[in-house]
Amino acid sequence: MSNLKTEIPWVEKYRPKSIKDMALPSARMSGHRVKLADELSNFIKNFFEERNRVNIENKKIREFNRTAIDKEQKDELKIPPEKAAVLLEGPPGIGKTSIVYALANDFNMEVIETNASDTRTRARLEKRLKETIKTRGIMDFIVQSREKLILIDEIDGIYGVQDRGAIPTVIELIHDTQFPIIMCSNEYKTNLQPVYNKIRRYEVHPLPKNEVIKIAKNILKKENITNLKEEDLELIIDKNNGDLRGIINDIQGITQGNIEGDQKELILSLHRDNLEEIFSLIRDLFKVSSLREARNLTNKSDVDYNFLYKWINENLLTFIKSNRELAEAFENLSMADEIFGRIRMNQYWGLLPYFFDLFAGGVALSRQETPIAKGFRRVVFPRYTSGTYFSLTNIEKEFIEKLKRKYEISQIDFIQEFLPFLKILCGTSRKQLKNVSDWLELDAKEKKILK
Amino acid sequence: MEQEIPIWRIKYHPKNLDQICGRKEVKETLKNIIKQKNFPHLLFVGSKGIGKTLIAYLFSKEFLGKAYDANFKLVYANVPLSEEERKQARSDAYVSTSKIGSIAGRRITTPAFIQARVKPFVQLKVLGGAPFKILVVKNFEALGQNQQGFRRLMEIYGRNCRMILITTKVSSIINPIVSRCQIVLISPVKLDDFKDLITKIAAKESLEISDETIEVLYKISEGKISHALDLMQLSSISGKTIDMEKLYEYSQKFRNDLIRSLLIVAFKGDFPKARELSRKILSNYKYDINEFFKLMINELNKFPLSKFVRSKLINFIAESEFRALDGRDNDIQVSALLSKICLFSEYL
Repeated sequence: MSNLKTEIPWVEKYRPKSIKDMALPSARMSGHRVKLADELSNFIKNFFEERNRVNIENKKIREFNRTAIDKEQKDELKIPPEKAAVLLEGPPGIGKTSIVYALANDFNMEVIETNASDTRTRARLEKRLKETIKTRGIMDFIVQSREKLILIDEIDGIYGVQDRGAIPTVIELIHDTQFPIIMCSNEYKTNLQPVYNKIRRYEVHPLPKNEVIKIAKNILKKENITNLKEEDLELIIDKNNGDLRGIINDIQGITQGNIEGDQKELILSLHRDNLEEIFSLIRDLFKVSSLREARNLTNKSDVDYNFLYKWINENLLTFIKSNRELAEAFENLSMADEIFGRIRMNQYWGLLPYFFDLFAGGVALSRQETPIAKGFRRVVFPRYTSGTYFSLTNIEKEFIEKLKRKYEISQIDFIQEFLPFLKILCGTSRKQLKNVSDWLELDAKEKKILK
Repeated sequence: MEQEIPIWRIKYHPKNLDQICGRKEVKETLKNIIKQKNFPHLLFVGSKGIGKTLIAYLFSKEFLGKAYDANFKLVYANVPLSEEERKQARSDAYVSTSKIGSIAGRRITTPAFIQARVKPFVQLKVLGGAPFKILVVKNFEALGQNQQGFRRLMEIYGRNCRMILITTKVSSIINPIVSRCQIVLISPVKLDDFKDLITKIAAKESLEISDETIEVLYKISEGKISHALDLMQLSSISGKTIDMEKLYEYSQKFRNDLIRSLLIVAFKGDFPKARELSRKILSNYKYDINEFFKLMINELNKFPLSKFVRSKLINFIAESEFRALDGRDNDIQVSALLSKICLFSEYL
């Protein structure tokens, strides 16, 4: 039995059972600070009051309808959507889901959850939620069964072809529901706008650091762990940026790994998503001597590969010097770029391994003659490369408008042929600049283009 | 008193068909058309920068006479649509639900370009007693697949509006369009006509320029009068005589020569410098990546290279352009090409 217990992730093991035990994150609703626990319990209480009222009214209406003629038939009332559902928004791992479960526990309710791991097409959602929502089961009359709380977790994960029709279904749910609905989401999504318009949104903020430390120490105490140093714990907390779930997972991962000695390296390698990590990743990448090492590096990192290869493109010259190596490296990189384009265009995700190997391994291994960089090498941001669209700044547009009154020229010809000439002409002397700008009636801003 | 126009290419811009330099045959056919008061759709073909648009513009001005303002429009096929135009096109394409038929309530899938720039003009009635309207489409080949949309347009609205399509190459225009048009070939200015024009202008500006220098100018500017005038004006600033050295000096500052110097740097095997230069060119001139590669090939052909080297280099450029088609980052493709040329330069 005891063996089984240790296998539960700590995150589940230490999920708060009641809202009173919980360190509550602060929250805001349309800019005002609110107490999340009070708001949510009020919401649930209000919901059931409202439901009872509506149900009694509806009963009367139904009785009335039975006797009335068609013309006088009344519509049944519904629970207004802002009283039927709320949305919690906030970064991952700060306790949104936990709060809902704790709340359900306090009110003795059953949680019906759907999250991003379920395929949420219209049919599936209806099957899973709608039937439970509309009718309270037959069993309810026989046994005093528990009320239900509906949790639609990770609602921002609804997208794409797989989840087609899910959002209209969610809206229908909000209108028809017999149970309170709480939704959680990480970020604002435009396709959820119709949902946002109907319900109250709470912005949930991460816990303050001292609260986090208290919780972490509490867990360590309960698990009888003593070998984690104070400073390592703080490092973990800093790395996770307030993500409590991440912190608990990390502590479990590190302390259960039975690693002796300095754990700094391990902690650092767990999270690599900020800037400094990209820098060191790129520095490390050009030190590798086998494809496997390069693979390990890219696999371990959370850096978005969408722009990791742009970083490599920008910084290649710092680490590789000879023309032969450069040609080799760029050959691989350009192939990777092409493959990536095709993946995105035709959804050939099977090509992704080649992409990784080419842009990381291929590039790093093309360094053969240049010695491994010693000392600190500066890594720079990828420069913004203009997109495929030809675009002009506003000042350039105004300039062309003024010019077009006197001389018909297309935007492209202007930029590529006429403007270079004007720049050279006006660069020769002040007089020329004055002549041209007077003639075109330019203002000071537009004059700057000519310089 | 009105200020003198400080830019020569605008100052000596032709005001009517007669003032256009050389090209007598074209002028004659166009004048005949003006006399007859009728013409089919026209297709102007000729290399870049020799005045096709100018001819089309002046021709329609003379043809339409007083009704010119209301009945003439010039659109650029290669200038991308702005955000407002896109939105407008999208909302225009929507067919109201009150209309009857299977199309009601749907969007018509006309290309945005035609929807935004062409249709609103073509559909309106002729104003001011002109026989029909004239639409000039510049760089027609840039439309690519959207050319198909013009086929029916040219027939349906042909009576109301005649089109003058301008292009640099007939081969990239689809056959059905070519068959609907009368082709007008516009050749570059001949050297003799060029000489006449330049000596006239030189006399007006009281400059001295020898015949040989004019020949050099003709070569440098590739027969483009506007470019030649730019060069002349620049060289005239420092003195009243224009010599070849000045011309060469100034021509080096223009774009083709930037690409030329880019190639020279790459042939020397200096990759970091070449990359820096290529980025500068691409951002300053806002080139399309395809156009950039085309210009490179153009410049490459001017270098005295052996057959093997030339074919190899063209192979490199072709491969880079091919990859850039699917790729996401143009900078990588350009850098890859330059690195290859730099490596190859060891064998030159």
